[in-house]
Amino acid sequence: MYEKLIREANEETLRYITRRHFLLDCVTGLGAAAMGSFLLGCGSSSKQQPAITGDPMAPRPPHFPGRAKSVIYLHMAGAPSQLELFDYKPELQKLHNQLCPQSLLEGKRFAFIRGVPKMLGPQAVFAQHGESRAWVSDHLPHFATMADEVSFLKAVQTDQFNHGPAQLLMQTGSARLGRPSIGSWVTYGLGSENSNLPGFVVLTSGGKTPDAGKSVWGSGFLPSVYQGVQCRTKGEPVLYLSDPDGMNRDMRKQTINAINEINRKEYEAFGDPETLARIAQYELAYKMQISVPDVMNINNEPEYIHEMYGTQPGRESFANNCLLARKLVEKGVRFVQLYDWGWDSHGTDENLAIDYGFRNKCREIDRPIAALLQDLKQRGLLDETLVVWGGEFGRTPMQENRDGKDTPFLGRDHHVEAFTMWMAGAGIKKGFSWGETDEIGYSAVKGKVAINDIHATILQQLGFDHEKLTYQFQGRPFRLTDVGGKVISPIIS
Amino acid sequence: MNLLLAATSGNWSLFLGRIHPLIVHLPIGILIIAFVLALAARSSRHTALKAALPLLLLAAFLSAVCSCVAGYLLSLDGGYDETLLDTHFYLGIAVAVISLVLYLLVKTSRLPRLHLPLFGVTLLLVSAAGHYGGSLTHGDDYLTQAMPPALQRLAGHKTAVATAAAYTTISDARVYEDLITPVLTTRCYGCHNAQKLKGGLRLETIALIRQGGEHGPVLKDSMPEESELYKRLILSENDEHRMPPKGKPQLSPQELELLYWWIAQGAPSGKTVKELGKTPRIQAVLAAMEPAAPMDHNEFVPEGNASAASGKSIQALEAKGVKVMPVATGSNYVSVSCINAAAFSDADMPLLHAIKDQLIWLDLSQTKITDAALPAIGQLQRLTRLELKQTAITGSNTAALNTCKELRYLNLAGSRLQATALAALQQNKKLQQLYLYQSGTDATAIRQLQQQLPKLKIDTGGYHLEKLASDTLIYKKAPAM
Repeated sequence: MYEKLIREANEETLRYITRRHFLLDCVTGLGAAAMGSFLLGCGSSSKQQPAITGDPMAPRPPHFPGRAKSVIYLHMAGAPSQLELFDYKPELQKLHNQLCPQSLLEGKRFAFIRGVPKMLGPQAVFAQHGESRAWVSDHLPHFATMADEVSFLKAVQTDQFNHGPAQLLMQTGSARLGRPSIGSWVTYGLGSENSNLPGFVVLTSGGKTPDAGKSVWGSGFLPSVYQGVQCRTKGEPVLYLSDPDGMNRDMRKQTINAINEINRKEYEAFGDPETLARIAQYELAYKMQISVPDVMNINNEPEYIHEMYGTQPGRESFANNCLLARKLVEKGVRFVQLYDWGWDSHGTDENLAIDYGFRNKCREIDRPIAALLQDLKQRGLLDETLVVWGGEFGRTPMQENRDGKDTPFLGRDHHVEAFTMWMAGAGIKKGFSWGETDEIGYSAVKGKVAINDIHATILQQLGFDHEKLTYQFQGRPFRLTDVGGKVISPIIS
Repeated sequence: MNLLLAATSGNWSLFLGRIHPLIVHLPIGILIIAFVLALAARSSRHTALKAALPLLLLAAFLSAVCSCVAGYLLSLDGGYDETLLDTHFYLGIAVAVISLVLYLLVKTSRLPRLHLPLFGVTLLLVSAAGHYGGSLTHGDDYLTQAMPPALQRLAGHKTAVATAAAYTTISDARVYEDLITPVLTTRCYGCHNAQKLKGGLRLETIALIRQGGEHGPVLKDSMPEESELYKRLILSENDEHRMPPKGKPQLSPQELELLYWWIAQGAPSGKTVKELGKTPRIQAVLAAMEPAAPMDHNEFVPEGNASAASGKSIQALEAKGVKVMPVATGSNYVSVSCINAAAFSDADMPLLHAIKDQLIWLDLSQTKITDAALPAIGQLQRLTRLELKQTAITGSNTAALNTCKELRYLNLAGSRLQATALAALQQNKKLQQLYLYQSGTDATAIRQLQQQLPKLKIDTGGYHLEKLASDTLIYKKAPAM
């Protein structure tokens, strides 16, 4: 039993020591010792890495004064159709039911479309809203009233057409496993403002967690104290947090004190930051026994707030999660990540049909999102909270023909070349739209935005230079935007 | 030597000359090993090594002569700084001569006490010759450029200050000074500078550019296609006149456009972008060079920096659970949040006065403070953001906040205010945002304040969303008949 644990711990340590370290130690060991004494003050890469000593969640200042204190990220897992919501394409209507021209298919690969599909006109009625004259479809009547608060990004591009990798790319900056999520980077950079709550909270709705699994809120190679804490809206908010029968809170406190004392000695002996993470987690868990049930309880909210969001306490719903997101941000939680599952409108069944299930999903998010923006605004929180909305990719202007056959309902396949996201609050322009697609919404034409540009912009608003927020791992500094990323300055006010 | 020259005219002389950098290392190596052996031979156990010295020194002498000849041939190609070249030339010859002297002395075992000192002189000469040779080929700042800053200071070398864009908008940029010079610096100076005058051409200043090189002027005003300075850049890559030569870093298409435009405009200096005529092509290039607005600008942070707050006063606050944080890395301005200090009360206010020069963002929401705290807040005169959400404040004395002249953001949401609370705020002329959600203020007071401060954004909240029939609609496929 113990042998296995010790072996695991040793293997974990080995992950951090690479061939490069070995060579470096051999070559420079002595030389560096001699040089170091008279080259004091030389720029070294360790400067950029916040030294984590003591409490890893202690608040830390950003690189420059940030506009955002918190982020609420609304991820529509499955990828909603931009062509039925924001990207109005009357030309596509004219091509409805015609065969897709070869020029759009040559050299392209789709997840399910085979052969020559038909074009599918927009299945929604569009109108312009607000002073910004933003196009929003009748699927989102409430959100349309808030169009003047947001900046649309109409030409976002990704390079992953399957949900899992695309969600990983969207949330961690890499389509492969092992990188920290945006929320982890943010809490690593800023710590947590509220010492009784986690800095990074995850809320899911729609009946399923995202296809990419919990890695989308994982901490990757960052110390695991920075991973997202998933809170449930039904039953106990955090599993296994309450005291078991027969154990009172004092006894629990003594247990935790004893364990932490042992861990502290362990840390003094080995200096592994993971031990500090564990101590912090025990302490936080103890405090969360009181603070989490309180903040996760929406019963105390006044009736008109429930009406505004369309919340139903006790149920798992996107509306409840939106209200919780506001409460959490109000309590100083840095990063609130919402996932809503069920947007994969292929047309293979009624729930996944553009003309049925998709419209019902729109109903489920429309009111809560509009209410969230209004509620943040009236509390003065929208000025310091960045709200991001989007899926992991977009949907094709063609109707899906899975394996060359017509689907029973109207549906669209995964599309990587252009889709819409929006951001609001915290220094983002109000009532603005950036980027354009061609006349049928197939390709991005102007103002293209890459996924790591989104990340760079989120970090920018929090006060970080995305090129400098790094973590040393396996011999090189890593960052959320890896080797890319450009702040989308046109949408910053 | 004449014979040799005659036989190797044309390409032969250049070819042999270019072997100089190769064979020049032979005498260096041989002299060093000879010196080491001479040292070792002083000990009685290695006296046998002495026998090797004459042979080594002869080899050093012969290879030094060969290096000198090759070096001379290389110098005929021209384009080197004359003084540097002369120094290197004579130092090289000196090395050859002294090797010969040393050889003769060692061979004949004369003046044995002079051998080691002479060896030392030889090595010094070799080092000096090598250094100047390096400066000739790589430029005299080759080493210092790559030096770590600490070592540069040690060596007494002035560190170059990294210059950010000297202009805030591209139309204010000076064309020659801000746009053309950086291109020439990175792409051309390497060979066309005071030390390494390739083609007799120097490009460091506008006067030197106009002077031209040994083949005449490189600029024909307003005619880029006729000017060597542009013409050579667009020759085929394999053309021997192509600049920069094959293998050297090339100009980007944008840099070419810039240079073309500048020459077409008469190659002026001291003119800004907006003073010159622009073609659509150059406009696209210039637009891409527009410097981004400073990304770290934040209207809630004063310019400059404050003095550092005392650690003791911060610790006193932190002991109460109050969070004191710099607003950014390296800034002494701090934000204070009581999110973890719900017990913070009027009595604790003096703790904040200790950091009043640094405190610019203050969040006292959901604490136990009352109206009695407002005069104390009034003393925090650098505040730009103040959050007093859900407190017992009624605003009976909001005039106390008038001394906070820098206040731009005030959030009173959830604090039940008296009707008179707003009137005094009209003295806070810089106030931009005021949040009054659930503060119970009446519409007349808000209207009056708005009239006094027309630019102030007042948000009283209480938004609601209409009830729509479609809200509860569930879309379902009609069951088949």
